[in-house]
Amino acid sequence: MKSVVAAGIGLMTLALLSGTASAAPKTNLLSQWDSGSDAAAIAKLGDMFKAAGGDWTSTSIAGHTANTLAKLNADAMAGNPPPAVQLKGPEIAEWNQTGQTANLDDIAAKEGWDKVVAPELLPVMKPAGNWVAVPMNIHRINWTWASSKVMKKLGITDMPKTWAEFNADCDKAVAAGIVCIAHLSQDWTDATTFENVVYGMNLDLDKKAFVQGDVDALKSPDMIKAFDQMRLMVSKYMDPGIAGRDYDTASNMMAQGKALFFIMGDWEVGTLNAAGYKYGMDNDYVCAQSPTDWGKPGFILNSDSVVLFKQADADYAAGGSLLAHLIMSPDFQKIFNQAKGSIPARLDVPVSDAGWNPCQQISQKDLEASIQAGTLVRSMAHNMTVLQKFRGAMMDTITQFVNTPDMTSQAAAQAMSDAVAAQQ
Amino acid sequence: MAFDAEAASARRRWVTSRVIIYGLLIVFSLIYILPLVVVILNSFRDLPEINHNGLIAWPQSFSLDYWYQAWDTYCVGGTCAGVKGNFFNSLTMTIPATIISTALGAMNGYILSKWKFRGSDALFACVMLGVFVPGQLSLMPWSWLLGRIHLSNSVYGLILIHCVQGLSFTTLFCRNFYVNIPDDLVKAARIDGAGFWRIFWKIIVPISPPILIVTVIWQFTGIWNEFLFGVIFTTGNQQPITAALVALGAGGLSVHAYNVSSAAVLIGALPPLLVYFLGGKYFVRGLTQGAIK
Amino acid sequence: MTTQSIAVPGAGHAGPTWPQRLAQATPFLVLAPSVIATLIYVFVFTGWTIYISLSKSAMFPVSALQGIKPYQDLWANARWNIAFHNLFLYSFLYVVGAMVIGLTLAILIDQRVRAESVWRTIFLYPLAVSFVVTGTVWGWLYSPDTGIQMLVRSIGWSNFTFALTTSKDTAIYAIVITGIWQSSGFAMALFLAGLRAVDPDIIKAAQIDGAGPFRTYSRVVLPTIAPIFIAVLVVLLQFAIKTFDLVVALTGGGPGLATTFPANYVYDMMFQRGQIAQGAAAAMMILAALAVVLVPYSIWLVWRRRREARSV
Repeated sequence: MKSVVAAGIGLMTLALLSGTASAAPKTNLLSQWDSGSDAAAIAKLGDMFKAAGGDWTSTSIAGHTANTLAKLNADAMAGNPPPAVQLKGPEIAEWNQTGQTANLDDIAAKEGWDKVVAPELLPVMKPAGNWVAVPMNIHRINWTWASSKVMKKLGITDMPKTWAEFNADCDKAVAAGIVCIAHLSQDWTDATTFENVVYGMNLDLDKKAFVQGDVDALKSPDMIKAFDQMRLMVSKYMDPGIAGRDYDTASNMMAQGKALFFIMGDWEVGTLNAAGYKYGMDNDYVCAQSPTDWGKPGFILNSDSVVLFKQADADYAAGGSLLAHLIMSPDFQKIFNQAKGSIPARLDVPVSDAGWNPCQQISQKDLEASIQAGTLVRSMAHNMTVLQKFRGAMMDTITQFVNTPDMTSQAAAQAMSDAVAAQQ
Repeated sequence: MAFDAEAASARRRWVTSRVIIYGLLIVFSLIYILPLVVVILNSFRDLPEINHNGLIAWPQSFSLDYWYQAWDTYCVGGTCAGVKGNFFNSLTMTIPATIISTALGAMNGYILSKWKFRGSDALFACVMLGVFVPGQLSLMPWSWLLGRIHLSNSVYGLILIHCVQGLSFTTLFCRNFYVNIPDDLVKAARIDGAGFWRIFWKIIVPISPPILIVTVIWQFTGIWNEFLFGVIFTTGNQQPITAALVALGAGGLSVHAYNVSSAAVLIGALPPLLVYFLGGKYFVRGLTQGAIK
Repeated sequence: MTTQSIAVPGAGHAGPTWPQRLAQATPFLVLAPSVIATLIYVFVFTGWTIYISLSKSAMFPVSALQGIKPYQDLWANARWNIAFHNLFLYSFLYVVGAMVIGLTLAILIDQRVRAESVWRTIFLYPLAVSFVVTGTVWGWLYSPDTGIQMLVRSIGWSNFTFALTTSKDTAIYAIVITGIWQSSGFAMALFLAGLRAVDPDIIKAAQIDGAGPFRTYSRVVLPTIAPIFIAVLVVLLQFAIKTFDLVVALTGGGPGLATTFPANYVYDMMFQRGQIAQGAAAAMMILAALAVVLVPYSIWLVWRRRREARSV
């Protein structure tokens, strides 16, 4: 009996002595990354969290982003918001306004985040001036992927630099009976392609219409021209089966040489790697910046980030701090982004070693060049600029345009502008 | 002679009608069974072969490995442990909810048909309205409610939701069934001194199996196959199997393993299919005995 | 009210005793929890939704009101109008189609065919499958790259087209066909049950009168099983109203906006777009569409019952 009491006193003393460090970090990350390379990347974060002594749970919600957001909403309504959530863009600001998000300024100051994160991302992560979210990566949206096989067959040696060159290359492909652009029609893929077109044709138009959501820019003559280019691409350079096709089939069309181009963001690297395709003119595919008519390096940016919510439980609060620290660590940024196909959100993590795909290395260089040239923008198609209600209105019109052959560019531009105006 | 010709033509007409009947049944059957056959075959094929020959093709490869992967190792829902966890989560949720909602439905149906009081028909109509409430509407109110009673992110909360939502169906089925039991039977029992519970156990329950099987089949299938609430009101490793199926079907931005997802689909469909297979005969019988009115 | 003839201690006194009161109250006590729960589920939740639909709720429900603007925004939205139109089109085709096919299959099976349990199982099993799975698998079948079109073309019929989901005009019919595939078995089961319950004497009488099979069915049998049509209608209708998973899995609402449905719209508005007020307004419109069908029916039911009571 005495020994038991002694042991008990010993334990209590131990607990008292350890003081504030007695909270065992726990977390539960809510995200939509439930399968494939996305899930593998998140699993790596889990490994790091566990290695640091934390108790890791991940809640991965399948299906559309709406499901993840619905769960966040449900948990918040029930009064227990999740400790950590994958959120991005304007949603960070909106949730911050509810007052339920945690303030990360302490850790940010200690680790010097302001100096190493890309400047375009700072207002997104600090919507009200203080750090609320930690960025996990930087995705590039304005990529065009091309099949090496088809390029060789058509005698094309360089990737098109302007939209005129792009159209010329496509005409060659169509003349040879090959589908020029592999595509799958969903709201986000149609918007991604269209955003590439608008950005490439007119940088100012993109900034005004898609970053700021200006209603006049949305129906301007330049926008109508962009819709014209889109109509040309959909009707002549894509095949009729774009609706109902899934992502892998479209990607394979390009990689296997059944189509020339694939306009898609850099997560395509993850898909190509997983399917065993190799980069290079002598292999399967090459990548290049989507055509721009204004001749400078360009970059459309998308960033996945994690928002931490205030937690009553000390363990979850400690877990949140640990998670934020880990996500911003150079180690995680390297491991995660190598798996996902994106580049680190920290500008000081090198991408020059062998674990990185050549397209990722090009992406990093182009990011720096774009920052210098002042051409860096955030992506509307991937929820980094305007509120969801405006973005949804734009995407609805774009996808309707793609799937309605007799909708004119004029009507589309007007409809898009009206739809956004109606939400204001 | 005339007699023979008539008999012969009558026989011909009978044969023709049989041919038409069986022909139609066979054609319909092929359409109905095609998706199942495709899924079954694909669960045994190698992925490169599927990608090469298409999804609807006679298999040219065979492996049982994908069933094992689907059950035990495939990376879905954030972990690489297959769908077995989800499978058991679904069982934990579905079985209690089915039993409770069926039992309550039987009792409610009994009361609303045999212990009528003023307003009981109106009450029945109100309960029946629950059948039509779409899940998207009730999602946020349920979240708030579960939060108040501290059942959010718990399988008990999910069971509660499915019970309440299933009550409308089970009460509807049972009440319409019991209405066909002659009132005199119950009246005579009451005159003999039997009370509420006596009548329930001695008279109602013994003749209930047909309708109880109908409600059990209906509830089990409905709750097992439900996706939205199952995903929203669970966390971590609690997710039911429908969540895993959506994860596999969506494919997302990675290689789409049609074979493993086919195996997972079949694993997920097995319990309801079993329930229908075993109970199908009673399903029709239960409905024959007046489940509908 | 029947009287108790059990001898109870204290009987002969003025009021009922506690055991008697408890016995009388038991039905209510047993019914109460279910009824209260369901009434909350139906009416309180609906009331909350009505309130929210008039509020300023955006990403999170708030109590400040703003009037009917969400409804105005709703009806000005092209996607909602497509969704609402789809609901009616789909419901009509789906309910009628499932009934017709279900009835046909039931009549076929009722012809004393062999191996009835086999046919019945084949037509009934789709009900056991979740809408998510049905949508996914039928998506494979409809895809021109990998599905039925590719299969038929590969056996030689190279001009065959079956790509319903690739065109905005035909995609809705893909959903109708798939929906019917899923639910017609249930209609079949109900109709079969009804056909079995028909009094054989009526059929014999009709045959003696010289009616052929078609006449027998249309004039004699089907009218007898009229109540079953109603039951089937209720079940199919509530499936149609709640159409959500099937659309998400089969077409994702596309091509473009062509197959978007009200339930999908409600969900996207509430959770994806952070426009809860408008989502709630859309949910109320779904219920209103339902009321348009149910209220006249209920009135007709009550009127018919009153008429039958009077004519007794």
